[in-house]
Order: sequence, then C-alpha cells, then structure tokens
Amino acid sequence: MRTGAGFGLGFVLGLAVAWALGRLLRDLDAVVVDGRSMAPALEPGDRLLVESWTYRRRAPRPGEIVLAGDPRTPRRELVKRVAALQDDRVALRGDARLSTDSRIFGPLPVSAIRWRAIVRYWPIERAAWLSR
Amino acid sequence: MLTLRRLLQPTRHVAAHCDLPCGIYDPEQARIEAESCLRIIEKHDASEDPLFKGRCIHIKEERAELVKHHLDVLWHDYFKPEHLEAHPDLHDVFWQATKQASKVKQTLDVQAAKDLLAAIDRIDEIWKATGGPEKTRVQ
Repeated sequence: MRTGAGFGLGFVLGLAVAWALGRLLRDLDAVVVDGRSMAPALEPGDRLLVESWTYRRRAPRPGEIVLAGDPRTPRRELVKRVAALQDDRVALRGDARLSTDSRIFGPLPVSAIRWRAIVRYWPIERAAWLSR
Repeated sequence: MLTLRRLLQPTRHVAAHCDLPCGIYDPEQARIEAESCLRIIEKHDASEDPLFKGRCIHIKEERAELVKHHLDVLWHDYFKPEHLEAHPDLHDVFWQATKQASKVKQTLDVQAAKDLLAAIDRIDEIWKATGGPEKTRVQ
C-alpha cells in the first residue's frame, strides 16, 4: 500500500517529466531538405533534426545551418548557412555556387531565425553532427 | 519508441533554394538575334517589295526585343557582385548595349546594328574573363 506522500511525490515527478518531455519535443523537429543550394553538406532528401532552444538564448553564429522563412515567399522555409552577423541582421548563404540567399534578398533580422540544424540522421550512412 | 519514431518523421520540407538553377548563359544567344537584325535590315534595304519590307520591320523588332531579353537575363542572373568588382564598367556596358538594342528596334540603321554586335562582343569578353564558357555552358 503506497503512502499518500509517496503517491504525491510520484505524481509531481511524473508531471515534471511529462512537462520537460513535452517542452523538449516542441523544441525538436525533423525536416527534409529540398534543393541543391546546400550541397555537398546537405543533399535533396536528407533528413535533419532541428531545435529551437539555442536561439532563444543567443544569436546565430557564422557556420551554423539554420532555417528561416523566405522573405520573398512567406510560405517557403529555407535552409541555409549563417555567413555573417552584423548588428541584429544575419546574412545567409548556400554552400553551393548556385544559391538564392542573402546575396539576392539581403540579410534577415535575427528574430527571423529560430531553428538550428543539429544532426543529419538520414541517410543513415551520412548521419553526422552539423554544428561546426 | 513511438515518440522517437514520431520525432524522426519529418514534419515539413525546407528549401535549399535556388531560383531555377539551369545555369546556362552565353552572350552568343543575344548575338545571334542581333546578327538577324543586321541581315534583316540589309535585306529590307535591298528589296522593292513593300510587303516584304513590312515583314522585315516587324521581324527585326521582335529580334531586337529578344536581344534585350537575353542581355537582361545575363545581366541579372549570371553576373554577380564579385564580377562587378573585377569589371566596374559592367553596368554601363549592359546599359549601353540594351540602349543600342532599342535603337536597332526603332530604326533601319545598318551602323546601329553593327554597333550592337560590338556592344555584345564587349559583354562576351567580360563573360569569358569571368570563366563563363567553363562555368555556364555544357562542355
């Protein structure tokens, strides 16, 4: 027979774990890459794990692969690499020679960048950490 | 494990985007249309047939418009800021060439058509200097 106190503690702990997990899962997402402008780092069909907790704490850093809304086509979400940070604006650039990025649409406000790519988990043989 | 699988299931597509990256550019495309303009003007001048002359004018105006189109595509799709650094006269060269194409569209001046070819050849030199033939044509 469990005591009332033990049951209460388990309940609170369970609630805390559920809350933390829920929080974690909302800040984690998986996306699939279209297009070739990030080749060879990212190829079409690559699957990435992205997280949104880092940029709540700090600004994006050059070299990081991030997601951002296309300023010209709001419904499209882009994946690009941070090229430079100036004041509160971030210049994005594709790795490939042919890429539509900040050279075309200019730098974006820091607030436009929420998601950071951390892992390429698919295809499995190319699984890798993406932080540089 | 259900949660992990759901976590790894992509929820959305993200675009490593590039505006239609066919990547094929060559000033030759504009030059061929410009050569058509020159020949059409010569044929117009050599003809006595008013109907033929009318067709010449109509087709020459279409070709001249295509010259402007092909030059525009080169200008804003192929050339990049680093090319402008190496060739500071790039914008002026394009401006003069497209103005010249307008002149060819408006007139029946043989010399204007020859000047247009020269202007396109100047663009061709810059395109070659930036490695265009290796980068933007299928080898």
